Amino acid sequence: MTREVVIDPITRLEGHGKIDIFLDEQGNVEKAFFQVPELRGFEKFAVGRPAEDMPQITSRICGVCPTAHHMASTKALDDLYKVEPPSAAKKIRELVYSTFFVEDHALHFFFLGGPDFVVGPTAPKAQRNILGVLSKVGLEIGREVIAVRKQLRDLISLAGGKVIHPVFGLPGGISKALTKEDQEKFIAGAERAVKFGLFSLQIFQDVVLKNKQYVETITSETYTHKTYYMGLVDDQNRVNFYDGQLRVVDPNGKEFLKFKAQDYLKHVAEHVEPWSYIKFCYLKDVGWKGFVDGPESGVYAVAPLARLNAAEGMATPKAQEAYKEFYKTLGGKPVHHTLANHWARLIELLYAAERMQELANDPEITSPNIRTIPTATPKEGIGVVEAPRGTLFHHYQTDEKGVITKANLIVATQNNAARIAMSVDKAARGVIKGGKIDDGILNLVEMAFRAYDPCHGCATHALPGQMPLIVRVYDSCRNLVREIRRD
Amino acid sequence: MKTLVLGLGNELLSDDAVGVLAARALKERLKDKADVVESALSGMALLDLFIGYERAIIIDAVKTGKNPPGTISELSPTDLSVVLAPSPHYAGLPELIATAQRLHLDFPKEIKIFAIEVEDPNTIGGKLSPAVAHAFRKIVQRVEEQITHWLAPSSRT
Repeated sequence: MTREVVIDPITRLEGHGKIDIFLDEQGNVEKAFFQVPELRGFEKFAVGRPAEDMPQITSRICGVCPTAHHMASTKALDDLYKVEPPSAAKKIRELVYSTFFVEDHALHFFFLGGPDFVVGPTAPKAQRNILGVLSKVGLEIGREVIAVRKQLRDLISLAGGKVIHPVFGLPGGISKALTKEDQEKFIAGAERAVKFGLFSLQIFQDVVLKNKQYVETITSETYTHKTYYMGLVDDQNRVNFYDGQLRVVDPNGKEFLKFKAQDYLKHVAEHVEPWSYIKFCYLKDVGWKGFVDGPESGVYAVAPLARLNAAEGMATPKAQEAYKEFYKTLGGKPVHHTLANHWARLIELLYAAERMQELANDPEITSPNIRTIPTATPKEGIGVVEAPRGTLFHHYQTDEKGVITKANLIVATQNNAARIAMSVDKAARGVIKGGKIDDGILNLVEMAFRAYDPCHGCATHALPGQMPLIVRVYDSCRNLVREIRRD
Repeated sequence: MKTLVLGLGNELLSDDAVGVLAARALKERLKDKADVVESALSGMALLDLFIGYERAIIIDAVKTGKNPPGTISELSPTDLSVVLAPSPHYAGLPELIATAQRLHLDFPKEIKIFAIEVEDPNTIGGKLSPAVAHAFRKIVQRVEEQITHWLAPSSRT
């Protein structure tokens, strides 16, 4: 008898998805599938539009990471018009981008991923949310999380035009220079962000790392996959969110590939499965061998843990210290434990805050030289950034007037899709035994993908309250034998 | 009496755009009466948009499948799931309000939600479906009436 368990929609996920779990006669997991909803029609929508509209259009794809799409798109336009932005423009872009990273990573840790660890993986459901986090860490910290995010979002608006959909990126630069007054505001915001990053890491140390049971969960085989890792690095192989080359390390941590964004199609291919709308990315150089890990399988990961693994260090001092501590505690590089993404995310938050501070204090940041006017005839442009959730590619082809003839986006969650599917399957097999399924057990399955902070970009904003979590159990003839509504 | 009108949705995604488009249409009409804000965010990420307002109206798409497309429902936050369900998309508002209360934030005492039942909230570049386009005019009018009612001397406390 096969029983089917459906978790739908996945709770606390940005965007919505579904997990189907099939049980065998013994009540153990035969197979678990992770599915995401379809995002329809983007390529068709882009064709025929002027390329310079793309940073505004693509930033509207998703309410969660508009700044990442805006930046990847703006860089694709630089490449399309073969134009190099002035140094000050690049610095301002990276300053805004770093600000965005701090506030986005803070949202994930405290509101979305945090409840699993700060409150506890199998804590009662009613406590496993932001209120539970606040009870554990204190109201003062709660107020600080909200106040810091507000301050940082105001800074993004100040430089980027609109926080929801930034409008400042142009091919060859940006639309608005920073004044001395703006600079002062960024300096103040950065100082607060660095403090925030340090105490967030301290909370992780105190609440998670000092709890033996949590550490055992993080390092358990159930949440471990030995795959390749990809991330952007600077010229010294240090993590960079805004620019650089893509570096891929193999499951032993050795450099396997290093390439420019323009060469992504030589190295990244997509695999299609009949049961999922998403295309699963893999490394062409290794090949698709199915949903398996190891050096023979082209499955790779992106996002915080992957970025740390794919680099040789962090470019700022405090984050570099935290980076060393991370690998020392978890047994050297690379770290293959999916749940270590939460820790890696906080190290990245601190790096972004320190980088913000460096750039805000850079005298060049108020330079009025912010634009190189493009003159080349456009044909093809490719841009890449590290979005909070992983590597993001934008690729446009145009006619000679700059009108889009073809557009391709590879979003972070697509890069991660194969490993997420494997993680969900493995976690389900690891925690569901003998047909015993309760709320805490299901949460242990959901944690496997929540660590990636997956985002499906296309999330609709249908109003809350009408879509409860549903668990369905079917017999081998697919007759519904049990339904649990988790609302 | 500071009032917020918040239109939620993704303007690229067919019917999901209805809240944002309604807010855009109301911006000029409600000048001096309320702050009109558009947002593609949801759940906890919306928290700081509400801070400092005494009253708020939310305009959003809803897909229950229980009502025909274009149906407008007027809800209060307590009509939404009272359980602190953890999805930022589906149960974010009760959690958000509870968080604001716990942290003693300056948060609206009264929130009204105008929910428009939609048909297709998933196609990029789609237009509003006919039933939702029809409801669009009604929703703009209903929000305006609500604001007028709030501003009327008799409703002041």
